[in-house]
Amino acid sequence: MSTTAAPEKGTPRLSENGRRRQPPPAGTAPSAARGSRAMAWLFLAPTIVGMGVFTLVPIVASILLAFFRWDILSAPQFAGLANFTEITSDPTVRVAFGNTIGFVVVAVVLQLGVALGLAVLVQERLPNWLRVFFRSAFFFPLILSAASVSIFMKYLFNEQFGVVNWLLGTVGVPAVPWLTTPVGSACVVVLVYVWQNFGFSFLLFLGALSSIPQETYEAASIDGATGWRKHRHVTLPLISPTTLVASVMAIINALQVFDQPYVLTRGGPGDSTRTAVMVIFETAFQRLEFGKASAIGVVLMLLIMAVTALQFRLSKRFVFYQ
Amino acid sequence: MGDSIRLRDISRRTALGALGVGILGATAASWPRLTATDIPGRNDGSLSIAILGTAADAAARQKAVDAFRRLHPEIKVRVQAIQAVDWKDFFSKILTMVAAGNPPDVVYVATEGAQLFAEKLAQPLDEFVRRDANVMAEYFADVHPSLVEAFMYRGSLYQLPMDWNAANMYYNTSVFSASGLARPADDWTHLDFRAALAAMRRANPDGFTPYYWTNRLFGGVVPWLYANGTSFLSEERAAGGDWLWDRFYPSDPSRASRSGGYLWEGPNADDPRVVEAFDFLRGLVKDGLGVRPEEGGGNSLVGLFASGRIGTTPAGGYWVQGLAEAGMGPDAFDVAFFPRWASGPASAAQRHQFGTAGYAIMKTAKDKDAAWEWVKFSASREAMELLFATPSTTPARRSMVNEALYSGKGPAHWKVFYDTLDRFPATGPIPAPPQQAAVETALIKNVSLAVSGDERQLKSALASLQGDLELALRRTP
Repeated sequence: MSTTAAPEKGTPRLSENGRRRQPPPAGTAPSAARGSRAMAWLFLAPTIVGMGVFTLVPIVASILLAFFRWDILSAPQFAGLANFTEITSDPTVRVAFGNTIGFVVVAVVLQLGVALGLAVLVQERLPNWLRVFFRSAFFFPLILSAASVSIFMKYLFNEQFGVVNWLLGTVGVPAVPWLTTPVGSACVVVLVYVWQNFGFSFLLFLGALSSIPQETYEAASIDGATGWRKHRHVTLPLISPTTLVASVMAIINALQVFDQPYVLTRGGPGDSTRTAVMVIFETAFQRLEFGKASAIGVVLMLLIMAVTALQFRLSKRFVFYQ
Repeated sequence: MGDSIRLRDISRRTALGALGVGILGATAASWPRLTATDIPGRNDGSLSIAILGTAADAAARQKAVDAFRRLHPEIKVRVQAIQAVDWKDFFSKILTMVAAGNPPDVVYVATEGAQLFAEKLAQPLDEFVRRDANVMAEYFADVHPSLVEAFMYRGSLYQLPMDWNAANMYYNTSVFSASGLARPADDWTHLDFRAALAAMRRANPDGFTPYYWTNRLFGGVVPWLYANGTSFLSEERAAGGDWLWDRFYPSDPSRASRSGGYLWEGPNADDPRVVEAFDFLRGLVKDGLGVRPEEGGGNSLVGLFASGRIGTTPAGGYWVQGLAEAGMGPDAFDVAFFPRWASGPASAAQRHQFGTAGYAIMKTAKDKDAAWEWVKFSASREAMELLFATPSTTPARRSMVNEALYSGKGPAHWKVFYDTLDRFPATGPIPAPPQQAAVETALIKNVSLAVSGDERQLKSALASLQGDLELALRRTP
């Protein structure tokens, strides 16, 4: 039963600070509300128009295009589900999706692991001024163009003339064919991707770690927890909402990886580093099969949605909200 | 100060409103910029010419544009430089412009895209060439028919070759002499080449690569396939083209073998001679004589070659200017013919690979006569001397490949460039059917694997190449 009685009809209502709110003059309230709504729409308009034109329309157009054959040069022709049946039997598409999933598993685990490990180190071991330095230093690669980073990494990992092999050579390690063998190429693509992207997850984790009250750790210490057990039973549960956000974002980004493999290896040797987005690019802009490329895009979109939904479903079991 | 407006009197809504008005005003003021209508030559009836390159490359053509305007003051010209990683990327961008309803009138197209354009986008030049046959006779007399044939497609001519490059073999002369090697004979074989690489390897054990090559359509695996009288695609000739050959090359020694253009319609990666050529390259990689064919860029290769870290590499006349700019003296490098295959039916032909480029008129060009005037003028000696003042490519006109062009820059045997066509008439263009992009992707995908493993991997990679090519050629371009 409610303890507050509803105001009687005609009784002036009180505003939040307790002052009596003056009723608006007759006839002005609807127009003021209308004006306010119009103003709200006016301010929202640029975002709505931008999202509509640059996000919503392309999404809808891509979905529609997936049911057509279109080579840019002639009019689109309705193809029903032909594009989807073709991509299921295309070995390159299958390999590319397999590569992408493998890449996501390795890259995301590495990215989150490195980011969390470094965040814990920086938060616990370093003074505040050094924390600021590392926050910027680790974030810096993210603001660089992925294509530029990949171009100079390609030089660094060149088998004959690269700095990496030169350094390894100084300690007696023979030249490693980084970019010309399937395993070497995959390793370089993952390394370059993780190096460039872990900074964002690092910042998220650092923020989450700094919000854990010191008293919680003190209480855990009193209960006898030390070292790893403290992190296992205090840190990880308390930052689990951040871990969820970081992992969702990392997985979505990794599923769309393109720049690094495209510049570093062009998907090779063979198809060993070809990813789903690379196949979309090649199918659309090199083979001029825009309908088929859209169909691959739709499948990738569904995959991303399914993985994200699964993550949120699993989060009910693993994420702890205070 | 009673009448003055104090800052606190301005409500947030007023301030935001003023900001909105300001943004609208700025947008209106910059509308010509935002819609790109302020670009000179845009929507004013100018002939729009797309080239692969930067704004600096477009500016470098300004002298030719000025000279053209003096001849044709009624035709406005706008050169659009389109930056791209390679020709494949450039063609993708042109296609995007077509899709956006803003195609250029004339496009500078290399062999890689010649058949794609001929099949889908370009206007045949036959009528124009016939109409101006008297003027064009001087041009054709100066240009090797192999270059012209590369731009014939199913009996029609689509482009006039402006510049070209064969895959010749560059070598670092100081590395050669330090390894006890003399200049290769003109008819050296692939086995002589391998022996030269082995000598360089012995003389330079560390940090040195005797042979550097790249995995691309030009200068990669194809020159070796041509040397062995084969290719990864079947090669046929289309009927037709007599109208051109009879009129402009009636007494050319190769007249009888000229056709209506090349046709590459089937995969041929399982040909035993393809396997043999790949196996030779695999042996070079295995024995540390050559690199795995990475996606090397021209710029990095120039630097490595100029610094003596590479002994040999296949390239065309376009490399000379780059090497000079990298500090190589005219005697520090030289060029030789590509080796012939030591045995077999192809050993006498010593077939080389070349690529050429020229202007194509788009079917959608607004004023095709004006476009033809530009194409015709560009092929004139006057224009080509303005365009090719330095040896950054090989001019299509034989008379321009002369001592003066290479003076002070080298190489000593610059005659090799045009002699490649004159002495080896079987020399052929990059195999680039209309489905070139998919074909090149298939090649790049499989070549690295073919040459960097054991014999089993080689066969499996070539089988995969055969399958990928079948799929690629089945596609409508």
